Amino acid sequence: MAGPTDADILEIGRSIRDALPAASRSPLKALDAKAMDLATADADLRAALFRFVDVVPACRSVDDVVAHLSGFLDEVGERPPPLDAAMRMGSSRAGRQALGRAAAAGVRHMAHRFIVGESAHDATRTLTGLWRDGIASSVDLLGEATVTPAEAEQYAARCANELEVLTAVYRPLPERPLLEHDAAGPVPRANLSVKVSALTPLLRPDAPERGKRDAGPRLRELLRHAKRLGAHLHIDMESYDSREAVVELVLELLSEPEFADGPSAGIVLQAYLRDAPDTLDVVETWARATPRSSPLVVRLVKGAYWDHEVVEARQHGWSAPVFEEKAESDRAFERLTLRLLDMRPLVRVAIASHNLRSVAHAIAANRAAGAPDDDIELQVLRGLGDDLGHALARSGFRVRSYCPVGDLVSGMAYLVRRLLENTANESFLAADHAGAALEDLLARP
Amino acid sequence: MPDLPPFRNEPVLELRRASERGTLTDALGELDARLPLRVPVWIGDDRRDGAELVSTDPAAPDRVVATAAIGTAAEAEQAVATARDALDSWSRTPAEERAHALVRAAGRLRIRRAELAALAVRECGKPWAEADADICEAIDFLEYYARGAIELDRGAALVQVPGERNALRYAPRGVTAVIAPWNFPLAIPLGMTAAALATGNTAVLKPAEQAPGCALALVEALREGGVPAGAIALLPGAGETGAALAAHRDVATIAFTGSGAVGLELMRTAATLPDGARQLTRVVAEMGGKNCVIVDADADLDDAVPAIAQSAFAYAGQKCSAASRILVHEAIADVLLERLGGAVGVLEVGPADTWGTDVPPVIEREAQERVERYARIAAAQGDVVAEATGPGGPGWYVPARVVADLPADSEVLRDEIFGPLLTVERVSGVEEACERVDALPFALTGGLFSRNPHVVEEVVRRTPVGNLYVNRAITGAMVGRQPFGGNRLSGTGTKAGGPGYLLQFVEPRVVTENTVRHGLVV
Repeated sequence: MAGPTDADILEIGRSIRDALPAASRSPLKALDAKAMDLATADADLRAALFRFVDVVPACRSVDDVVAHLSGFLDEVGERPPPLDAAMRMGSSRAGRQALGRAAAAGVRHMAHRFIVGESAHDATRTLTGLWRDGIASSVDLLGEATVTPAEAEQYAARCANELEVLTAVYRPLPERPLLEHDAAGPVPRANLSVKVSALTPLLRPDAPERGKRDAGPRLRELLRHAKRLGAHLHIDMESYDSREAVVELVLELLSEPEFADGPSAGIVLQAYLRDAPDTLDVVETWARATPRSSPLVVRLVKGAYWDHEVVEARQHGWSAPVFEEKAESDRAFERLTLRLLDMRPLVRVAIASHNLRSVAHAIAANRAAGAPDDDIELQVLRGLGDDLGHALARSGFRVRSYCPVGDLVSGMAYLVRRLLENTANESFLAADHAGAALEDLLARP
Repeated sequence: MPDLPPFRNEPVLELRRASERGTLTDALGELDARLPLRVPVWIGDDRRDGAELVSTDPAAPDRVVATAAIGTAAEAEQAVATARDALDSWSRTPAEERAHALVRAAGRLRIRRAELAALAVRECGKPWAEADADICEAIDFLEYYARGAIELDRGAALVQVPGERNALRYAPRGVTAVIAPWNFPLAIPLGMTAAALATGNTAVLKPAEQAPGCALALVEALREGGVPAGAIALLPGAGETGAALAAHRDVATIAFTGSGAVGLELMRTAATLPDGARQLTRVVAEMGGKNCVIVDADADLDDAVPAIAQSAFAYAGQKCSAASRILVHEAIADVLLERLGGAVGVLEVGPADTWGTDVPPVIEREAQERVERYARIAAAQGDVVAEATGPGGPGWYVPARVVADLPADSEVLRDEIFGPLLTVERVSGVEEACERVDALPFALTGGLFSRNPHVVEEVVRRTPVGNLYVNRAITGAMVGRQPFGGNRLSGTGTKAGGPGYLLQFVEPRVVTENTVRHGLVV
């Protein structure tokens, strides 16, 4: 497929940006903007902040919170004045209590922007509100790492339960035709994202069969459950270590005859992986050979484990499986967008990015292919892409917000990853926040 | 001679890629077709074949991996004599040239990487990832010591005043007896041998009786790389061969890695001067450990549990660095036990050549019996929290076990067991944990899981171990990154793969030359 013109992309990008709420055009403002600015500017401080956010839920008392905070800040070379003032507070007992409470509250506040509740039930109001605003959801259950079979069982049981809760939450809601149909047919309202790493403690990078064998029965049950409920089950992609196991497991299970007529299911393609096109080849070959009543949804993302992949590769002396320059990932994202759009109706396409250029490119490419706007789905992350999601919904697109639920302890790994992503100097959100010109933000990567 | 590029660790295989796994599996098939290997006593150009010694696959003891000749006392004598004769020429060979021979040997090993990983799988029951890491470490030692020896050859800077010229140079000590273990059948024998050769010594390698096949490949690589035949001899055998070698009058250095009992025996031997001895024998010894991991209340158990399981059970706990005691803050002890127990309960105990095996068989029947004996004591004295059993036999399988709350005076908490048996103790805090660590005679590796920088600092200050790992697994030291070796009864305090290691293999010589003649500085 030929790509869309830059003029089309610019025009679409401009109209989306115009639809963004004026008061808080940057999602970063939604965070504690000051802390984020400081963290983006100073690597030491960024490290201290993340280590603190990470440990807060494990602290046993306010004193323990302060002990950790001061430990981290001691390692920051030059502290900005507000932090120095905070450290001085820590020298008296009363001051310590106040500081500890404030810091812990700050972390909780930050977490709640990203995590919609402890469970789907908790999040009913948020999910309902999104639906009324024309935004669907995919709920993701945050949890501690699965290291035991019991934890895998618990996670599978939570998933099964949440599928039911989501079905019940969405059943009474008014019709939203844009969110419920596309060219391939009906789109389920209840949509759950699950992680294979949480369904088994046995994912071994050098032995994908072990993890597949153990997670397979649990995932099969969830697929059956989703099918009974008419819900969508999306299997998330994680680090490269588990990529082979996840792709193989999902495609093998969906090849089983009982799943030919449902449920609606999906996988994720990570554009930052150098070999993402090969994975897409595998998916395409599979899709051709495996007719399904509802086509596999492929969610295209840049990928959220960039730092992990690069560090792991450097530590082992490997060439990184990811593109090391952000622009390369952005270009790959556009190439894969074109391929995915071209593969329809074998697959359904979901574009998950907060990069205005990537989103505008997908929309323009879809139009250039002569397809209606509702033949692609646009996905955003709760807490970071809220404004973009609303702007896209108002502009008449099918938008799905990825909504993590879980408690604060288990949410920290997710939160830290999101924060890392968005305080990276190269982040689109950071560039937008810094007031980069629209033409630059929408320029060809 | 071209300058060597800066040292970098040999990358381990990316075994998460199916193609890399395929290469290894293919290599194992080819190796199996050639078994058993024949390992000679190999002194200079003399090879004597024999089949007095047999190494077998720990997962299938009927499978003979190698048959070897056993070095006799006379051959030990001959090997040392040959090495002594070769000393003059090898020590005069410029350091750079020696270094290049070692680097070429590393190149030979790279070519044979898959084959030698397969050999470590077969002969010593190392699971694939461990076997691959072993051959990489062997390559690293060659590359690292080659560069270190060039650096050392430049001597050390001294204070200089007008009218005198001071120089500190390092000369090789002489013939080195290398007495090696089976648990890193490639890396450790080659590391000790390479350190000796790089600094101009000659060496006689007495490999572990369980791993002669691996040792032959090492000597082949060294000779193919350009180390003269006289400078490196292979003397397979068991304890008697090692004892005969170590007791030789002309052995200047004994480089040893193995059990504490043998290490102390070698030190006694070294301290007993034979008639005609002209040099004190230096012993470089790496011995046992009883390695503890401290888990503080703020530890992230998502990370700690897999790291502990890996540290304790990878290669069935048969690494000197393996974790054997967990000291956990009482506030999170129950959660840790539940999660660790669950994680260990599903470990796969099986043959090393099967992808996904977590816990391979132990090396031999005696090891199996020893570990089971301690396991019985542990079960009688404490609570068995997890037990992952494997195939019944015929391999030397031992279940992976976690046992909690043993009495403080239990021998299970004191002795080095060298198998897949992990104990967990509750402590009131990091302070008590440090006291228990400090009470041990061993000080090899240790671990700490804490997210409080002040706690980390305090544990670092108080812990006597040679290698302390914070918030990660406690095994897998890398050459140049984690110089490895223990203190107290764990060793002579030397650091393999570190900047000071080569100093053990040389003697310092200072030359001061008067440069004043008739009142003039000439």
